[in-house]
Amino acid sequence: MSESKIAKLHESLVKKEISCRELTEKYIEAIERDNGELNAYVTVTADKALETAEKVDQKIAGGEEIGLLEGIPMTLKDNISTDGIRTTCCSKILEDYTPIYDATVWDILKKQNAVLLGKTNMDEFAMGSSCETSYFGGAKNPHNTSHVAGGSSGGVASAVGGNIAVYGLGSDTGGSIRQPASFCGIVGLKPTYGAVSRFGLIAYASSLDQIGPITPNVEDTAIVYDAISRYDKMDSTSKGRLGDPVYNTLKNDIKGMKIGIAKEYLDGVREDVRKAVEDAAKVYESLGAEIVYFDLPSLKYALPVYYIIACAEASSNLGRYDGIRYGYKADNYKDVNDMIKKTRSTGFGEEVKRRILLGTYVLSSGYYDAYYKKAQNLRGTIISAFNKAFESCDLILAPTVPMTAFENGHAVSDPVETYLTDICTVPVNICGLPGVSVPCGYNDKGMPIGMQLIGNAFGEAKILNAAWQYENAANLFKSADFGVKL
Amino acid sequence: MVTKEEVMKIAILSKLYIAEDEIDKLTEDMGEIISFADTINNAADEGGEFDNINNLSNVLREDEVVPSLDREKILRNAKDSDDGCFLVKNIMK
Repeated sequence: MSESKIAKLHESLVKKEISCRELTEKYIEAIERDNGELNAYVTVTADKALETAEKVDQKIAGGEEIGLLEGIPMTLKDNISTDGIRTTCCSKILEDYTPIYDATVWDILKKQNAVLLGKTNMDEFAMGSSCETSYFGGAKNPHNTSHVAGGSSGGVASAVGGNIAVYGLGSDTGGSIRQPASFCGIVGLKPTYGAVSRFGLIAYASSLDQIGPITPNVEDTAIVYDAISRYDKMDSTSKGRLGDPVYNTLKNDIKGMKIGIAKEYLDGVREDVRKAVEDAAKVYESLGAEIVYFDLPSLKYALPVYYIIACAEASSNLGRYDGIRYGYKADNYKDVNDMIKKTRSTGFGEEVKRRILLGTYVLSSGYYDAYYKKAQNLRGTIISAFNKAFESCDLILAPTVPMTAFENGHAVSDPVETYLTDICTVPVNICGLPGVSVPCGYNDKGMPIGMQLIGNAFGEAKILNAAWQYENAANLFKSADFGVKL
Repeated sequence: MVTKEEVMKIAILSKLYIAEDEIDKLTEDMGEIISFADTINNAADEGGEFDNINNLSNVLREDEVVPSLDREKILRNAKDSDDGCFLVKNIMK
């Protein structure tokens, strides 16, 4: 039976089997020991973590009731703003930037006395699929450190998979929560666009970005999602969670549930991944769900549509880095324009510059209609195709990534080939839908394989219900040989 | 097909310098990515115009005066500031 790690630790705290200070110290010690190898954290906030732990211990000692997330050691991706704690986006341009306000998600968790252990590694400005575009070097896979943790939320996935954090929050613009979760053998949820506030998330592509949890199992994902999915007046696209907490229906029976599979999702997917997903479909059948097959021909346009829109929005969002108000500033310039250009040229890494250039290209006069406008029209086509699919099924089952974690250094060589790894994850962002990656096996080298469950808008309860049922029946979780052993 | 001249023009619009020894590789990469993006031009527009995802609508609020961030705190992240302002080189002679 799969069980929640957060609930188990909560129980230990309440029963005084372990103090919050002891628990936090164990995690800090594990970070000191293992982070050299995993490179998951770029900033460790041990003192602040212990301060919060003290507060929680005092509450417990005083007989006060504590919340489920209270005193649980966790981490945040380094593009989520934290008041007084540096937030770098793993870019040279923000290397010494310290926000003066909290992102709403962190404000929520901080008020619940979540113990923040530190900020975790990512591809620079969340642009990448391997974490290797990080200014601080990539995070490594806890199942085999000669492989990448994935990206862009590689640091969170490495920390949670390697148990040097209980859970973390990442961000997902084209797969950046689900892909590293898949590579590291854990669970990652990209919520519906608007379900979780983006206030304080440093923007990459605003119509695609979404914050979500990365956790060891489905139950923990449900707990964290329920905590952070709230309406926020600071985010004009915020809607919050519609309906009851997803935890309430997590363990419901799924007899009669219709699970759709589109063959286009399986085209070009590596054999071991395809087999694992097909085996998962069999598990669902044994649980009484019905597998239905459908066509999704417009899926082949999802990836170019994604890269055009994401780069266009990035070129605009990253226009703010000029060296004047915050961040790195170049020396030896002759005028303001030269200063801005020098700052940006030496402050941004290669991949970020490439995407700014691409975005500027597709928005420039002469190319706007052929690329940007066309991509936005096709975005409408893809959304309609998914809406139609949900008329005949409750949710969609697909691979998360067409392969398992690649070896270190592999992703940097060919940009187009690297972009292709996002093929199964980007449609969810294009359509604003929720998607969760759940471990569904291991390849012959022991590297984790992930499958993805995609729901209709605000359908988190349904996909997490199906995810929990699978996880519970298949019972595949393997812990990596790192981190805290309790 | 992306030309070197186009990349140079785009770089000016993006406020980026491109080093002489980077330009050929970058033009090649951009060309490859743009020809990949070109696949969308094989698609017939089936879905009509893009509306917006999940039918979210603009959320407007009353324009009320509320306390804002502290000036001194904001300036803490600036490399150069003077007398409560960001400091930049003259832009007019």
